[in-house]
Parts: sequence; C-alpha cells; structure tokens
Amino acid sequence: MRRKRWIHTSPLLLGLPAGIFLLAFFIVPLGYVTLLSFTEPSWGIGNYRDLFNSRLFLATLGNTFWTAILVTGLSLLLAYPLAYVAATSKGTISRTILLVVALSFWTSYLVRTYAWMVILGVQGPLPAFIAVFGYSPPPRLLFTNFAATLGMTHGLIPFMTMALFAVMKRIDPRLLDAAGSLGAKPWRVFWHIYLPLSAPGIINGITLVFITCLGFYVMPVLLGSPREQTIAGLIGDRMEQVLDFGGAAAMALILLAVSLGLFAVYSRYFGMDRLWGGRA
Amino acid sequence: MMLVRFAAILIAVFLAAPLLVVVPMSFSTAPSLQFPPPALWLGYYERFFSDPNWTGPLLNSILIGAATAGLTMVVAVPAAFALVRYRFPGRSMFNLLLMTPLIVPHIVMALGYYVYFGELRLLQSYLGVILAHTCFSIPVAMLIITAALKGFDLSLERAAMSLGAPPLTVFRLVTMPILAPAFVIAGLFAFIHSFDETVVALFISGRDVATLPRQMFNSFRMEADPVISVASSLLLAAALVGVMVPTAVNSVRRALNTRPSTIAS
Repeated sequence: MRRKRWIHTSPLLLGLPAGIFLLAFFIVPLGYVTLLSFTEPSWGIGNYRDLFNSRLFLATLGNTFWTAILVTGLSLLLAYPLAYVAATSKGTISRTILLVVALSFWTSYLVRTYAWMVILGVQGPLPAFIAVFGYSPPPRLLFTNFAATLGMTHGLIPFMTMALFAVMKRIDPRLLDAAGSLGAKPWRVFWHIYLPLSAPGIINGITLVFITCLGFYVMPVLLGSPREQTIAGLIGDRMEQVLDFGGAAAMALILLAVSLGLFAVYSRYFGMDRLWGGRA
Repeated sequence: MMLVRFAAILIAVFLAAPLLVVVPMSFSTAPSLQFPPPALWLGYYERFFSDPNWTGPLLNSILIGAATAGLTMVVAVPAAFALVRYRFPGRSMFNLLLMTPLIVPHIVMALGYYVYFGELRLLQSYLGVILAHTCFSIPVAMLIITAALKGFDLSLERAAMSLGAPPLTVFRLVTMPILAPAFVIAGLFAFIHSFDETVVALFISGRDVATLPRQMFNSFRMEADPVISVASSLLLAAALVGVMVPTAVNSVRRALNTRPSTIAS
C-alpha cells in the first residue's frame, strides 16, 4: 500500500533525473558561454563592441540571414507541392513521396554533403551538363554560396514537408468539394480554403527551418565559400584557428539570443507544442 | 492537379537522386570524385574495414550511440511519465527545459562544452561526448514517449491494480509491454541522433574517441579521400534502417497482439 502511494505522488522524483541532467550538462555550459563573452580576455562588453565594429562580422551576419531567408523560402516553395500531393492523393504516389521524404530526413548531412561534392565537383555530372551548352570551362559550382544554399535547401525540405504534411492531413477534403460544388474554380478553392487552412503548417515549417538555418555549421563550412561565411562557421574559426574564445562566445550568444528570440515569438503566438508533429 | 503531381514527382526525384550518387561512388575505382565511376570494385570497402583510422571511429560511434540511447531512456522515460500523468507547479517550464536543446545551435553548445568539459577534464573522453549527445537526444525521445503515453489507456493499469497487482508488477506486465514499441523507437532515434551528430563531436571528441562523422568531416576538409564514399554508404544504410524499423516494430507488435487471441479461440 505504501509503495502504491509512492508511485502516485512523485512527479518531482520522476522529473528529477532529467532536470538535474539538463541543468548540469545543458544550462551550465550555456552559462559558461555567457560568462566567457563578458570576461575573456577582460571584463566588460569589449567583445560585443569589437564585433559590431567589425565589417567581417556584420557582413557574415548579413550573409547568414540572407542565406536563411533564401533557404526557408526555397524549401517552402518545393516542400508545399510535395506535402500537398502526399496529403491529398491516395495509394502509391502518396506512399512513395512519404518514403522518399523519410529516407531523406534520416540521411546524415555529411552524406548529403558528400553527394553534392560529387555532383557539383569539377569531374561531376552537373558541370559536365553545363559544358554541353557551350560553357567551357564550366563555372565553378563547389565552394560557393550557391552550393551551400542548394545543399541546405535539399537538407531542410524533409523538415518543411513533415511540418506541412502534419497539418494538411487533417484538412477535411469535404470543404474543398463543397466549395467546388458551389462553383468555385480550383485555384479559388486552393487560395481561399486550402492555403489558409494549411497556414499553421507553413508557420511551423518556416520557424523550424529558419532557426535551423541560422545555426547550421556542416554544410556552409564544407560546401560554401570560405570568403562568405555564415556565423556558425565564423564561430568555429575563432575557436579553432584564432583561439579567441571571448569573441567566439560573444558571437555564439548573439546567435543563441536570435534563435531563442524567434522561438519565443513563435511559441508566444502559436504555442510550442505544435512545432513538432502538429499536436495541439 | 496533374501538373502539381508532376511537380511533386520532380521534387521527390530532386530529394532522392543526390543520395543515390553515393552508393555507386563507393564501388568506384576512381581515386577522386569522378562520376559516373569508370569501373567498379570493392577495394574501398576493403580499405575502410582494414584502416584503423576508419574502423576506430566507426566503433566509437556505435559505442557512444548505444550509451547515449541508454542514458537518454533512463532520464527521459520517468520525465515523460511526470509530464503526461501529473499536473505540478513549473510543469510548463520543465517541458520547455526538456525541449530547448532542439533549438540551441550545436555550434553554441560545442563552444560551451569545450570550455566546461575542459574544466571537468572530460574533453576527448567517451563520457563527455555521451553526456553532450544525451542532451540533444532527450527532446527527440521525449516527443516519441509522451506521444505514446498520451494515447495510453489508464484503465488498463487500474484494472490490474484492482486485481491486486503491486505497482511494479503493473508496470512490468501491463505498462511496459504496451509502451515497448515506443521505447524501442525512442531509443533507436536517440542512437541515430548521436551516430549522426557532427559539430559537438568535432570540437570535443579529439583523436582518441573520434566519431565517424568527425573523421568524415576532417577527411572532407583535408582531401577528398575516396574511402569517404564507403562511410557515406554505411550511413545511408543506417538511414534506411531508421526508416524501416518503426514500421517493422509495429507489424511485429500487431503479429504478437493477434497471437494470444488465436490461442484463446
């Protein structure tokens, strides 16, 4: 009898391991980053002042935002028809799309990076294809902003598709039939009914993809241009090559603040439980 | 509609085609990134599995992934029960704490761990990487376990208890078997999450406990070693497992669920 009560009255005990773990190995490291940005090499806001006086940092910040906007827009544009067809049609086509999206979702970014290196590389199929049209020698594709944007878009389409699909699947198809039977043309049905109903999925998707893009490290560093970096790459450089931990920490804190700020705005207006899987 | 379908198929091809490049490359004889391959052989597989610079990281990744999956489950399962079954002060804060590791950029955590684990003397150790990866895996596991718990019919537990089963027996004989598929999937996702993680491992794992992604990343940066294609193919196979296992687990469960009733009848 006593043990029964023990199991019934212990949310604190059940939550304690996770709480302590995340406090010790998630919050404290973030505290170290914060502290470092104000104390290394000397006390004060010197690191931040230096950053906002640095043309390199401001250009990198601009490039990071621009890339994130571009990738988010492109992946929405490409994922929407994919999710739409997966959600509205039956049978093989829908199942095939979901399988491809799932496989792509599970594939490591390094594997995708490798694939793009092969495709865009000097001996790869895409430059060879371009050369057919008389561009000789073909333009350099690898290690450019183009390659990074392409790779990131390809990498994030699965996330966007899943966010859209979760919402689209619950749109009642009878609403569309009703509008059609009342005389609305297909594009009007789409514009006035389907699109507004799928809006929560669009908001979930762009939030998820945009925040992921801002902090993306692997693809911009390996596929992108070394001269036009994103902020994550710059943080890595400061740590590894310059050993300027204070500057790296200040940049990391700015990146963290922007990511969490966007997420806070999102969860304030849309509720955070919906971000993954569309559950209310 | 036909046009949209056609567009969707093209986009699906765009998603899948680049990945399909990887497998033929691993059988290629070309010493550099030449596509299509001039001829096929198994030489790079042989080299991958005989070179300690690749087999070491592969083994490390498997070890770290398994330990991460175990630790994640130990921490996340009770937390999921607390979140779904109880209302307590600070519950939404607790939920937020469990989910934020998904939002924080890995490069920020990499810097934090580099400094923090430096002081704890956990840099370049298995434990350090496992602890870091567990942080990232907790939210993923939580999403799966809480979803399964929300769909759990509490009257099953009450029935067992009213028949006199002590709480741990109820958990072992009723709760656990019903939730087992969700636990398996959550553990697997935690494993794959750790197996794929690149950025934190890159900065804190060092040479001795280097993971496969770290080795691949460095190999990309140095020179395009063709053995990378083998590593990539293996990771692609892991992705395929990730896609297949949840379906397999569900069908096994369905098969197991139907068996007792057929025996009874």
